[in-house]
Amino acid sequence: MASLSEEVLLVVKKVRQRKQDGTLYLMAERIAWGPEGKDRFTVSHPYSDIRCQKISPDGKAKVQLQLVLHTGESTTFHFANESTALKDREAAKELLQQLLPKFKKKANKELEEKNRMLQEDPVLFQLYKDLVVSQVISAEEFWANRLGGLNNSEPAPYSNKQEVGISGAFLADIRPQTDGCNGLRYNLTTDIIESIFRTYPAVKQKYSENVPHSLTEKEFWTRFFQSHYFHRDRINTGTQDIFSECAKQDEKGLMSLVNKGVKNPLVDLLSLEDKTLDEGYGIKQALPSTSNTNKTVKESSNAAIIKRFNHHSAMVLAAGSRKNEVTADQASETSSTDGNSRDSDFFQPPVKKVKLQEAIEYEDLQRESKQKTVALNLKKSDRYAHGPVPLQSQKYTTSQDIINAVNCIQHEMAHYKPNLTQVREKNNNTFLPSTEMVPSDIQGELKHLYVAAGELLRHFWSCFPVNTSFLEDKLTGHLEEMLQTAYSKFHIWQTRRMMRKT
Amino acid sequence: MASEDEVNLLVIVVDVNPIWWGQQAQREPEFTLSKCLDGVMVMGNSHMALTRTNKLAVIASHCQDSHFLYPSKSLGGGGGAAEDTSSSRDGKYELLAVANSAIAEEIRNVLSKTEVRGNSTDTLLAGSLAKALCYIYRVSKELDVGQEIKSRILVIKAAEDCALQYMNFMNVIFAAQKQNILIDACVLDSDSGLLQQACDITGGLYLKIPQKLALTQYLLWVFLPDSEQRSQLVLPPPAHVDYRAACFCHRNLIEIGYVCSVCLSIFCNFSPICTTCETAFKIQLPQMVKPKKKKLKMPA
Repeated sequence: MASLSEEVLLVVKKVRQRKQDGTLYLMAERIAWGPEGKDRFTVSHPYSDIRCQKISPDGKAKVQLQLVLHTGESTTFHFANESTALKDREAAKELLQQLLPKFKKKANKELEEKNRMLQEDPVLFQLYKDLVVSQVISAEEFWANRLGGLNNSEPAPYSNKQEVGISGAFLADIRPQTDGCNGLRYNLTTDIIESIFRTYPAVKQKYSENVPHSLTEKEFWTRFFQSHYFHRDRINTGTQDIFSECAKQDEKGLMSLVNKGVKNPLVDLLSLEDKTLDEGYGIKQALPSTSNTNKTVKESSNAAIIKRFNHHSAMVLAAGSRKNEVTADQASETSSTDGNSRDSDFFQPPVKKVKLQEAIEYEDLQRESKQKTVALNLKKSDRYAHGPVPLQSQKYTTSQDIINAVNCIQHEMAHYKPNLTQVREKNNNTFLPSTEMVPSDIQGELKHLYVAAGELLRHFWSCFPVNTSFLEDKLTGHLEEMLQTAYSKFHIWQTRRMMRKT
Repeated sequence: MASEDEVNLLVIVVDVNPIWWGQQAQREPEFTLSKCLDGVMVMGNSHMALTRTNKLAVIASHCQDSHFLYPSKSLGGGGGAAEDTSSSRDGKYELLAVANSAIAEEIRNVLSKTEVRGNSTDTLLAGSLAKALCYIYRVSKELDVGQEIKSRILVIKAAEDCALQYMNFMNVIFAAQKQNILIDACVLDSDSGLLQQACDITGGLYLKIPQKLALTQYLLWVFLPDSEQRSQLVLPPPAHVDYRAACFCHRNLIEIGYVCSVCLSIFCNFSPICTTCETAFKIQLPQMVKPKKKKLKMPA
């Protein structure tokens, strides 16, 4: 509901939303739209909810304004007033542009962070969909572990993106197009301009000096491309070019860079010289030196190109490694005109040692740091020889006994022949009772009993399998009785025998 | 029923200590080493005759060394002519004839080479057991694919225990237990605590024979059946094993004692320093409680 106390900043009539005519109201703290003829607002968004606004391109028939909220929803307004549609939309857009930044709350930052995280990590997004959307876990629990860094001052680890370096071919990407009539057209984007500034800080310096005081941007770039500085030959003709100074600075920079050299002791650039044997085949001859003035034109232009390439590559590398220090150190940057002093500052004596150390040692081959252990110190280790065995009295044998015994056994075994048939002794001292020990009458009785029991058992087993009721009766009734009587008979006999013995 | 592919290996370790057997020959002339070996041969033959896949090995345990009586090294080469004549005369199963003659010849060689030494009069039983284990291991590695092996060791012990072999003995026992090898013991004269432990740990049978003359009968009754069949037979009950350890200081058997946590030596009395490894033990003494002074009430 529109509260009357709200200040209305802009009213736009004839704005359609979702194919309905209505009026758009921009208030102090929110934007609202109500359909025609009705009192209420159907669409109302506080400015803090709005992430950004979008407008349809100029050429299109429909003049539209789209509001994208933080939650991802979007609302589109179509300005339908034939005469003033564009103006209306521009007015609305301008006002929103002023108002929206004021209402960006910190809380939205959190939402944005969440969105960013979800977008960047598809696994996380899937997890979020599975758990929170299907209401397995509440959204608060899900984000509890993950948003640790936001409320603190330190940045979240995910937001560290790698710096985008400079493409080495950025100058070549410019690609001039012919204008039709003897002119060239260069398309410069802000990326290319930024690359040029980062790589050639001298150019940036010139730009900041001259633009917008004496030259417009267009003129500056025109002169830039026309200058010999840019072109291949770069022969210093001494013209009053604003860029001739740049050329001189570059020369100085290159010389200082060459003098500084590479501090890495393992890299030997001098060994990369081409050694040709075509002239003289190894016999020493005076080689033409490059500093000689009467060199051919071709050689000098080659040298110039190569120098140019080297310088370009060095500047690109230096610019890449300079990172964020560019904005911070304006003063120091302009003082170091050779542009590479920062780079060579990195290689200092301690670094040399570190490099050497790295090359010599391998981590895997280092001795493992073992835990310190205490060695076992046994004083009386002979105790383990016999172990926890009690002392036993040993039989004392004299040496004479030993000799006798050994002789005896040797004598016996010298004629040893296995006599396996005589193993069982036929005398009364043997363990198992032989047949003589048992008197014959008891043997006879026992035999009778045994045979009878065997016969009964034979009857018993012949009844199986039990097919007929006759067999069943025989088993349960008859046989059992017989077995019982046989057993009792045996028992009586046994007791009689035992009583007789005692 | 054991499958046809299962190999049953019996290793007989015979104690042929010449000093003990020599003295035994003087004590009881009826039962000498010859009789003992005859009994061993009978048992070996029976074992091999039971199943075609049964295998046999005999080791003689001497004071100086341990010697394989069967299978012997000289089996393959010479002596072929002599064996042929003996086997053809008998009509015996050739394997048995070969085994018997090999054992006889080897024991003759072993005893003829005996040197008399005063300091080593103990049987090297632990070494023989170790050799037996190695032989079993070798045979189990040389089997055909798909064959299983079950092995056991039978120790026929004559002389007394040697306490110095304790460590080796225990190692052998535990190695046998790991390999599921039974150790049976047939003791002729004096009880042996080490062998009792061996049989108890590995699951074998320990028997001290009441009558030496009946050695063959005991061997065939008690020790011939293998472990599966023993559960179905009525055999002598297992002897009660005295597992009490002896303290390192006095060599007395103790039931409760003190053990050093560093070197594991056993003591009967507490001492703050272990005498074997010289570790000092810190033991907290009970705190002394000062008696509270009672305040005397002054008479008012």
